[in-house]
Amino acid sequence: MIQELDTNGFDQLDKSGSMMVEFYSKVCGPCKMLAFVLRDIDKAKPDFPIYTIDFDENKELKERLGVKGFPIMLFLKDGEEVNRITGLQQKPAIVKAIDEIL
Amino acid sequence: MSNKVRYESYDHLITRQANAENQFLTDFEKQTYTIDTPFVVHNPYLINPLCALVMFKTTQKVAPTVTVCGKRFERENLPHTFAADTVHKLPVLGLYEDFANQVTISLPDGTSKQITIQTGKLPEDVCRCLNVMTSADYLEDNFMFLTPAGKNLPTAYDYKGDIRWMLTENTMFDIKRAANGNILTGSSRFCRMPYNSTGLIELDMLGKIYKEYRLPGNYHHDHFEMEDGNLLVLTQDFTRDTVEDMCVLIDRNTGDILKTWDYKTFLPQDVAGSGSQDAHDWFHNNSVWYDKPTHSLTFSGRHQDAVVNIDFDSGRLNWIVGDPEGWPEEMVKKYFFTPVGDVKNFDWQYEQHAALITPEGDVMCFDNGQYRAKNKDNYIKNRDNFSRGVRFRIDTEKMEIEQVWQYGKERGQEFFSPYICNVEYYADGHYLIHSGGIGFKDGWADDGLGAFLDPKDPAVELRSVTVEEKDGVVLYELETQGNFYRAEKLPIYHDKDNVRFGAGQLLGQLDVTPEFDTVPDAQEVNEQPDAWHNVVIEEDEDRMVFHGRFERGTLAMICLEGDADSHHYFLNTSAVVHLAMCSGAFLEDDDRELKLNISKQGLKGKYQIKLIINDKKFDTGVSIFCP
Repeated sequence: MIQELDTNGFDQLDKSGSMMVEFYSKVCGPCKMLAFVLRDIDKAKPDFPIYTIDFDENKELKERLGVKGFPIMLFLKDGEEVNRITGLQQKPAIVKAIDEIL
Repeated sequence: MSNKVRYESYDHLITRQANAENQFLTDFEKQTYTIDTPFVVHNPYLINPLCALVMFKTTQKVAPTVTVCGKRFERENLPHTFAADTVHKLPVLGLYEDFANQVTISLPDGTSKQITIQTGKLPEDVCRCLNVMTSADYLEDNFMFLTPAGKNLPTAYDYKGDIRWMLTENTMFDIKRAANGNILTGSSRFCRMPYNSTGLIELDMLGKIYKEYRLPGNYHHDHFEMEDGNLLVLTQDFTRDTVEDMCVLIDRNTGDILKTWDYKTFLPQDVAGSGSQDAHDWFHNNSVWYDKPTHSLTFSGRHQDAVVNIDFDSGRLNWIVGDPEGWPEEMVKKYFFTPVGDVKNFDWQYEQHAALITPEGDVMCFDNGQYRAKNKDNYIKNRDNFSRGVRFRIDTEKMEIEQVWQYGKERGQEFFSPYICNVEYYADGHYLIHSGGIGFKDGWADDGLGAFLDPKDPAVELRSVTVEEKDGVVLYELETQGNFYRAEKLPIYHDKDNVRFGAGQLLGQLDVTPEFDTVPDAQEVNEQPDAWHNVVIEEDEDRMVFHGRFERGTLAMICLEGDADSHHYFLNTSAVVHLAMCSGAFLEDDDRELKLNISKQGLKGKYQIKLIINDKKFDTGVSIFCP
């Protein structure tokens, strides 16, 4: 399940369990490519929650989470960040990171 | 489909040179040429406009002498006597540019013939000598060979500062004379940004390439010829995210990789970073040296401010010369040295290049000095900094280090190069110090590397200064325009075969270019991408190079679509910051211009080249064939 969030949506999210939060920018080629990769992963793991957040429109949240660039993927377990991957990655690398937190 | 995409197909230079050689050797055999009517081929191997081949036959076996006459007087003449034979194919090297060169061919019996070889002007932007201080007596028949650090070309200067040798191919990085008299340097064939080339080439002074040694991880920075002829070459493993952290030993005859040293096995990657370090380029290896007495390898790692020595066989770390600040305590105790002697005048080296071991076992390098501190709070601005050649005496029993020589500190920012450069050891007390990366803006040493400065900006001055010092006395100084990676003093002729005939060889292999598994949805359109994208597809025997211009943030992918399989390569259109740039040869003026090398390794058959730009898939109209 891929869902777009803003800061408010992120703060209100039930963070129990495992999830991935991706920060992207509309002016980023690798982010556009990553969107296709995430769609592919979503097909393979439809129950794993993936959230995307616009880097440029959620300044306070990105600062709070220490996000300095894009694309970046934060892997959360029960609300705690347990891993983060920076930059465009291929599907196997992301699937591996997901499997590690499941 | 309108023609918006440009396609260029080249034979490898080795093939083009072989064709040219076949042609002139065939022409030579068509009639009888004598010393009175010699057959002259100017620039026979296509890439050295300041050379020629003179060919003729004699009835007796004789040893001819070729003399390139000096521009002004006889003492400037450059003679070379070749081995006795009846068929003579003689390299004429060291011609003056844009000049009716007088070349004398003489035989031992006194027969002599003078011919004129007219050369043309060198390219407008060739880097000229600005000042030279030496004498014909001192430099004798040596030229100073400089290798490029930007868009300039490999160039050699005589004692007057005249250019007497130049290649029109941008062969990069180190240049060294091999035991057989040929020179070894980097190929000019682009592989990866910022400056990886396909491999290493062995060529003669005419510019004829005998071998190109291709490497899966490509070539960068430096190489070293072992006593048995095999070659140590700096490379990396492109299947992982780091660069410039591997060395290989390659078989001189086959190009096969015989041994690999992976620096991650003996160094931590996340400690003691220099001011230029990032996770990707954590070590930035810029030199390799083999020391026979200790059977060890010495590597210079710019991004750890460290000169590192390991055992050749086991790859175990022996010692590290560098500022110990920031290294783990247990490593400092085990591998680092304590300064002794005149410690008041002792300085560690920072972001150094070209480390070597002298016959006495001392460590020499060019201490660029960039940042001149481990801690960010103590970084020094380039205008307040210095670069130098330095020699350290090390005692590996007591783990003590003493600075026994330096040249350059006293010259301050005038001699400051934040990148590139080298030192050479000629004898105890006799050294070359090449500060090739000087970059001034508005009269001050700029904080950017020379490769990033715009040489067309009137406020910018790029300079290269090469000094030879003997027993504390400067005997030679050359100042040129532009930045040059390294300097090497060599006689242009040597006493082995100055040319050998027959086709050169392409050895070793490139890597399989990493592909992207996911292919974005895009609408197929039966048209070429807009001309604004300036797409150029170059193809040669073993690869293609894609060039294109893209606005930042564009989604771009190259698709090779074949009957049996398809391959996809993501193009990163984001701004890429290069912290290190030891050669700007592949940099574009417009940073939206991208290029991607796609090796034919792993591909088979015919492929249509398509290009995804955002939501459309364009057909370039170009197909490539992979044997």
